[in-house]
Amino acid sequence: MQALHGREGNVEKIKENPIVKKLGFNRIILFCVLILMYVVFSLLVPGFAGMARIMSVLNYVYFLGFLSLGVTFVIATGGIDFSIGPVMFCCALISGYSMMTLGMPTILALILSIVIGLLFGLFNGYLVSYWSVPPFIVSMASMNIAKGVAAVFTKTQSVSWPLKDDIEHGGWFRNLVSANGFPVGLIIFLAAAVVCMILLNNTKPGRYILCLGSNREAVRLSGVNTKKWEMLAYTICGILVGIAAIFFVGAYTTVQPGYGDQYNNEAIAGCVMGGTSMVGGLASIGGTILGVFIISLLQEGILALGFAKDIQLIVTGIIVIVVVYADVMARRRKN
Amino acid sequence: MTKKKNKLLSDQRFIVLLVIAALIIIYMIFSPEFRQYSSILSMLDFSYYDVLMAIGVTFPLITAGVDLSIGTGMVCYALLAGSLIRNQHVPVGVAMLVCVLLGCIVGMVNGLLIAVMNLPPFLATLCTCMITRGIGSMSSAVPWPTTQQDGGWFHSIFKLTFGTGRSALKIPIGFILVVALVILMEFVLNHTKFGRYTIAIGSNKEAVILSGINVKFYHVMAYVICGLFAGLAAIAYAAVVPTVQPGTGAGLELDAIGGVFVGGVSATGGYGSVLGTLAGVFVIVLLKTGLPYVGLQANWQQIITGAVLIAAVLIDVIKRRRAAKAQ
Amino acid sequence: MGECILKMEDIDKSFPGVHALDHVHFDVNKGEVHALMGENGAGKSTLMKVLTGIYTKDSGSINFEGREVEFHNTREAQDAGIVIVHQELNMVGDLTVAQNIFIGREFMKGFKIDDKKMIEESNRLFAELKIEIDPKAKMKDLTVGKQQMCEIAKAISHDAKLIIFDEPSAALTEKEIEDLFVIIRDLRAKNLGIVYISHRMDEIKVITDRVTVMRDGGYVGTLITKDCTKEDIINMMVGRVIYEEPKTKSQVAPDAPVVLKVEHLNAGRMVKDVSFELRKGEILGFSGLMGAGRTETARALFGADPKTSGDIYVNGEKVTINSPQDAVKYGIGYLSEDRKRYGIVVQKSITENSTLAALENYMSGIFINKSAEKKVTNQYIKELATKTPNADQLVVNLSGGNQQKVVIAKWLVRNCDILIFDEPTRGIDVGAKNEIYKLMNRLAAEGKSIIMISSEMTEILRMSDRIVIMCEGEKTGEIDIAEATQELIMDKATRNIE
Repeated sequence: MQALHGREGNVEKIKENPIVKKLGFNRIILFCVLILMYVVFSLLVPGFAGMARIMSVLNYVYFLGFLSLGVTFVIATGGIDFSIGPVMFCCALISGYSMMTLGMPTILALILSIVIGLLFGLFNGYLVSYWSVPPFIVSMASMNIAKGVAAVFTKTQSVSWPLKDDIEHGGWFRNLVSANGFPVGLIIFLAAAVVCMILLNNTKPGRYILCLGSNREAVRLSGVNTKKWEMLAYTICGILVGIAAIFFVGAYTTVQPGYGDQYNNEAIAGCVMGGTSMVGGLASIGGTILGVFIISLLQEGILALGFAKDIQLIVTGIIVIVVVYADVMARRRKN
Repeated sequence: MTKKKNKLLSDQRFIVLLVIAALIIIYMIFSPEFRQYSSILSMLDFSYYDVLMAIGVTFPLITAGVDLSIGTGMVCYALLAGSLIRNQHVPVGVAMLVCVLLGCIVGMVNGLLIAVMNLPPFLATLCTCMITRGIGSMSSAVPWPTTQQDGGWFHSIFKLTFGTGRSALKIPIGFILVVALVILMEFVLNHTKFGRYTIAIGSNKEAVILSGINVKFYHVMAYVICGLFAGLAAIAYAAVVPTVQPGTGAGLELDAIGGVFVGGVSATGGYGSVLGTLAGVFVIVLLKTGLPYVGLQANWQQIITGAVLIAAVLIDVIKRRRAAKAQ
Repeated sequence: MGECILKMEDIDKSFPGVHALDHVHFDVNKGEVHALMGENGAGKSTLMKVLTGIYTKDSGSINFEGREVEFHNTREAQDAGIVIVHQELNMVGDLTVAQNIFIGREFMKGFKIDDKKMIEESNRLFAELKIEIDPKAKMKDLTVGKQQMCEIAKAISHDAKLIIFDEPSAALTEKEIEDLFVIIRDLRAKNLGIVYISHRMDEIKVITDRVTVMRDGGYVGTLITKDCTKEDIINMMVGRVIYEEPKTKSQVAPDAPVVLKVEHLNAGRMVKDVSFELRKGEILGFSGLMGAGRTETARALFGADPKTSGDIYVNGEKVTINSPQDAVKYGIGYLSEDRKRYGIVVQKSITENSTLAALENYMSGIFINKSAEKKVTNQYIKELATKTPNADQLVVNLSGGNQQKVVIAKWLVRNCDILIFDEPTRGIDVGAKNEIYKLMNRLAAEGKSIIMISSEMTEILRMSDRIVIMCEGEKTGEIDIAEATQELIMDKATRNIE
């Protein structure tokens, strides 16, 4: 009993500083890392500090941010979805092809993109929750199905979305990303993040998702329909992936079938770095946002330093390993 | 009880064989082209690397883990070894050793991340998948020596060719080779300490630790074996692909892993058979290489292998649910 | 009685929040069966885990065969000659019996494992123990009792000098226990040291030479078995704790309505045609051996596991329960024996756990009303006297007894009238135990109806108004508390087996 009180004493001590408590120790460190990285890159690369670079980083942040937000919900349930990258490409390819070749209006194409994401989310969620297929197997399968479907639909051709001045094809959608140099995308992304934050912390679905990620059986035996809520997490993820696709083409225009894998790792890295635990039950949207900024800045920095794109893959891979290992160690210390 | 279960399992393998037979018959009916010896030969040629990867990945899957890095890994080893042949004029034999060695090293890294550092297997290997892809991409596309070139002898490991031109007699000895390896690994799985502990780790890791066994060592070994076979697969891959392209290989692991699940390995670990894997992987290979013969474009492959993977695991889930209900 | 083989002195061990062992002494002589007794949570298993290297001691000394030793894992302890027959079975279900017995020390023929020799050796071991088990059978296909026998065979095959039996009889029938005693006497005659951990007073008197009693992680004393009475031992075990008075007759009003009726419930292999009634304000005890199907009955009734057939009536109305959701809808709450796995979400706060089953009552619109949530949590913290600094405390930081109270609070917040307590005091320290008993009695007096599954005979006799006894998945008896005796219950609990 005495030891118990001793520990509570420690908890009190950490909670002493109200600002630290409000923001979270972890997130303050992440913020410092982000600033430090920016300073280092600016010193190493002449002209890095310019506005052009910042916009370029932001372009990366938008789509990666939506992917990361989505996967945060899935990881909070203790699951995983690494089909998100290829599914995002699938959304962009099919809706882009429908628009450019089949003449679908832009607004419908955008909706189509979200619907495709939603369908993949439903598919993944249904198999994971109602059929207890291990999430990594579902991810593996739907990753390939997404690539295959996109390739069959577009006949293995890459798809380019309309440019801004291409009024005829509906280039207006690019204003969602940036209008007259103003980063509209950032506003949309942050608004989405706030919605996700409220959803996760202040509503029933969020509460159940976090609790079932921590102890699924206990939640089920409390009379909660865990399958429904688990499936919902994958569905939310799917919708956000569909939105991510819009921002991807908004920034990078052209998509090629058969790719998209590398963004899985980047999204997962951003999410876990932000303090969402791989075993589920713990998630932080604020952390995810910071994580996404760090990853995006890093990718931009690697290219700015003159390294090839391949280095990005290697660096992200190592970062995920390190971050997840830190998560494993933190949990072990707790027990 | 045991008898009944054994019967059920042999049933699954039996069903897999029936599926293979059915696929072959369908293809033969619909495509005259498929009936030719050269088609069968080319199908076999393209099956070896899948079979080899599948043999290897059977072991991590039995431990209730997975290795997603085998596909990109295989391509990476083939690329690096290929550049050695072309740029450093290293003999092909040495390059083959390099493939196997690289495979073992990456396997060991995976094993350490999973068994010692306790990372989730799919995540650790997803990272090594990306890393091997990145490393492989740093080299440029390389062809390994063709049959006529210096060092082309390595093709005869998989296919013996007598004579030249159209009348040449080609014997797919690679098939005999992989079957021999399958039988060897089936023996290893069932009759050696390594195999037994692999099964035990997948079934109840805690109990194995309490038995005082060096669990970490055997757990790492499962991934090393997997990497070793990915290295062997790299040789088979280089033998059939005209040029090894950087940046490819992602998705190939799915063919192998799907084959293992079709072959009856449980998604929760603890049970598996390498013979089942061989049968399972041929279902995938037939679907993959046979589809163009019946007029479906190659991109359907990915969709169909994805669907087959889900179907195979669903069968396992349903079987387990039935068993649980009877408890 | 031979010379001393094991001497543990001044063993101290703390876990975060618990002083598990407080300067404990324990010793065993060669050719002796030494009982280690104490209630749940007294520290017996912890002491043995320190001995076999699963835990490291904080201080104290262990002397084995005249040498100071410190083992770092079970393998080292095994090599020195100390083996433990675990209470929880540590078997690899997918391997065969023979493969399990010799795991980690297989007979080899070069690279090949000599399975044939292992099967022969297993047969020899089983012959020695006079039991019949097929060494080629898969472990997961055996009954719990048979699995236990395999554990014992495995322990004996180690050429041990000291064998620890950790509650070996919990899953065994009378006949199997007799066989076990024959084996133990054999081992004693071979001059081995034996530690026997058990709850059952009768067994202690029959088989052991000395008894050491522990309480609350501390050492109480050691007695010569034949010179002491049951009451001596019980007094030492219970100590200062004054339990609720045992019931002599049912406290339920004769005209109390039936709130739950279960008819011909069947589920899997473990629940066969079980029927019973539960009345308002009643505590219905479920007794039986480990693996008798009591937990399975409760889980099937609660909808946690699928059932094959059977009718359930709540307050006289027939209901369909296919999932815990349905059960909760009809006001049934289930408190699992394994709280950490099935009861609480350990990494979440008391508040989040308390409202888990009734979150829809604490919503304003689509948002969770956090202040209402906190209010009701604080109310139950006070009512159940849960020891915690505040409602935001993570449940993982609470002691076992307080965690149990959080689970109770969860069902009270949901306003459940039928509560199923599965081993309500397992893993709870002795002092907190009585609080749980008081609470259960109070709940019953307030009109809640309780099903209590318990393996502790004393608990069954102390708490129940009526007792249902199960054996091998069937209900074998139903006794009013006024007529219940330990012998009668044991007789019915093993009826199906002989």
